[in-house]
Amino acid sequence: MAARLPVRTGRLRRRLTLAFMLVAGLSAAILAVSSYLLVREARLSDSVDRGLEQSRFNLVLASETLGASPTTAQTTELLDAYERRGTFAVVGQTNGRTFSSSLSLGPAQLPPDLKRLVGAGRLAYERREIAGTRYLVVGGRVPGSETQLYYFFSEERLWDELAQLRNILLSVLGAIVLLGGLVGALLARRLLRPVARASVAAHSLAEGLLDTRLPVESRDEFGAWAASFNEMAEALETKITALSEAQARERRFTSDVSHELRTPLTALVAEASLLAEHLDRMPDEARRPAELLVNDVARLRDLVEDLMEISRLDAGEARVRIEPVDVGSLIASAVRSRRWDDRVTIDRDEVVMSTDPRRLERIVANLVGNALEHAGRDVSVRVGKDGLGAFVEVTDTGPGISPDRLPHVFERFYKADSSRAGPGSGLGLAIALENARLLGGDLDVWSEVGRGTRFTLRLPVT
Amino acid sequence: MDERLLLVEDDASIREVTKLGLTQAGFHVTTAPDGREGLLHFRQAPYDLVILDVMLPVLDGYEVCRQIRAESRIPIIMLSAKSDTVDVVVGLELGADDYVTKPFEMAELVARARAAVRRATAVNDEEPVLVRGDLEIDPGAFVARRRGEEVSLSATEFRLLLELARRPGQVFTRELLLQRVWNYDYLGDSRLVDVAVQRLRAKVEDDPKEPRTIKTVRGVGYRFDSG
Repeated sequence: MAARLPVRTGRLRRRLTLAFMLVAGLSAAILAVSSYLLVREARLSDSVDRGLEQSRFNLVLASETLGASPTTAQTTELLDAYERRGTFAVVGQTNGRTFSSSLSLGPAQLPPDLKRLVGAGRLAYERREIAGTRYLVVGGRVPGSETQLYYFFSEERLWDELAQLRNILLSVLGAIVLLGGLVGALLARRLLRPVARASVAAHSLAEGLLDTRLPVESRDEFGAWAASFNEMAEALETKITALSEAQARERRFTSDVSHELRTPLTALVAEASLLAEHLDRMPDEARRPAELLVNDVARLRDLVEDLMEISRLDAGEARVRIEPVDVGSLIASAVRSRRWDDRVTIDRDEVVMSTDPRRLERIVANLVGNALEHAGRDVSVRVGKDGLGAFVEVTDTGPGISPDRLPHVFERFYKADSSRAGPGSGLGLAIALENARLLGGDLDVWSEVGRGTRFTLRLPVT
Repeated sequence: MDERLLLVEDDASIREVTKLGLTQAGFHVTTAPDGREGLLHFRQAPYDLVILDVMLPVLDGYEVCRQIRAESRIPIIMLSAKSDTVDVVVGLELGADDYVTKPFEMAELVARARAAVRRATAVNDEEPVLVRGDLEIDPGAFVARRRGEEVSLSATEFRLLLELARRPGQVFTRELLLQRVWNYDYLGDSRLVDVAVQRLRAKVEDDPKEPRTIKTVRGVGYRFDSG
């Protein structure tokens, strides 16, 4: 299976949610800022308009109260009149004398730029913060007099209202961002649900539940997707069912053939074995063919028995019978019973484990037989135990297997040395591997051309 | 050798060559092509050994084995199709003494047949009667008694009991028992031992599930305790 990147679920959903929040927040922010600026602009210019209008009126009022060079009494009278109107403070300057309606306001608080403009005879204004209060200061000259009057209109309320507006807009913005997130999350979840479902479905397909299908709930792209997914699953199911039926047929055929072969083979083997006892008493012209016959019956027997074994393994009929096994002595007696002692050396550590002795013997006999077939002699078997479990190494000093052939040695009927038809059935290593797996272990091969080949059987020790 | 052997096998070629090989080895061979005829032959004349195919027409090998064992302690060798399936165990549980897997070489079958016959006959007449708890084992007469009553044991079961009872307390591995009782040189099937012990326990133990006489030594083998 291909290596997979670790999948972190929910990432796409988070990203979608975040995008939603961003879009909602950004549009709401643009709206809020522009409307705030518009309102602020309108309110401020409105305030200036009113200030200027009132100042003009106040200046006319002053020109009626004050003379060309007003006395203190006149200025006091003016201040009194203004005080009755009440909404502003006033600072006046006439002939170097200053008067003010407020203790905290005096000539020092007059903005110099404004003073210059007023000095030039213009009606002008400037905004200024004095002692924590924001004022619109409007200045002008009393008509027909040198007297300058400055009106301080407090804009505190206006700024308070603007601040209030700003706060309201900010909280609305926050609410919109949150709402955006919520809607985004819900939408993302709904949107991604088919994706999640498809992922689960693909998984269960991969695990072999071939009847897995997706519900087609909508007529959108997801619906189309689900429909194509189902088509694919359908096609896959049909194909795999057909394949496994074909495979089952093939296996049944192999099994049937080998079973049908068994009866005549049993007769043949018994006959050949009986014939073999009388070879030396045969006339010369009959002896050689009889010898060949005996050998070929043995070959046929090996082949049919291997075929039957592999068809049992394929059919899952192979049974494992676990018992305590002294691996070294089992291998030693397997080698002895086949009269291989003179060509095989065994180097063994004490390994006693629970396994199926017949299958273990089968594996080792196949490996050693295979090694002897290719190397002829000097086969060494090592039995031991390490951190990974028990192992049996079967090493020969034969011609070795070329790297392009090495990966195929466990395939059925694969002959590593195609130039000659060896005496083996071509199934020995495949059977050894199947048996090794049946025992929970595995079989590895290492080989170098000119140096030899080593098969390593690994078995778990529990 | 003058042993009389009954061979029940349905395939004509196998039957003929097997008969030929066994005759050359010195047995007097009678053959039968199916289970019913096999049983008829068995009941008509005395035999020293039965070789029985598992797959037989009319009456299968298991049924023939069961009926013969109900009547006699004669050694029975089953001819089984494959060695790693339940076939073998079923045959052994029904009282077969040994099995040979098809295809077989004549030398192998002859060796098994001779070993089976030897188990059933050659016991040292001189050996005294063994008394172990409530068991009395008489090697000369080939008879075992429990609380005075004769226990019906097959030849193999009797051998197994004798082997174990000769050395009470000693642990016998399955391999050793295969060598001593069945005459397997190497790598016999340990199921032979396990099934024979089961059958033996059923006959000499009060509760075969809680054996007091033939005890299992986990991971090693068996031990005879005379209690």
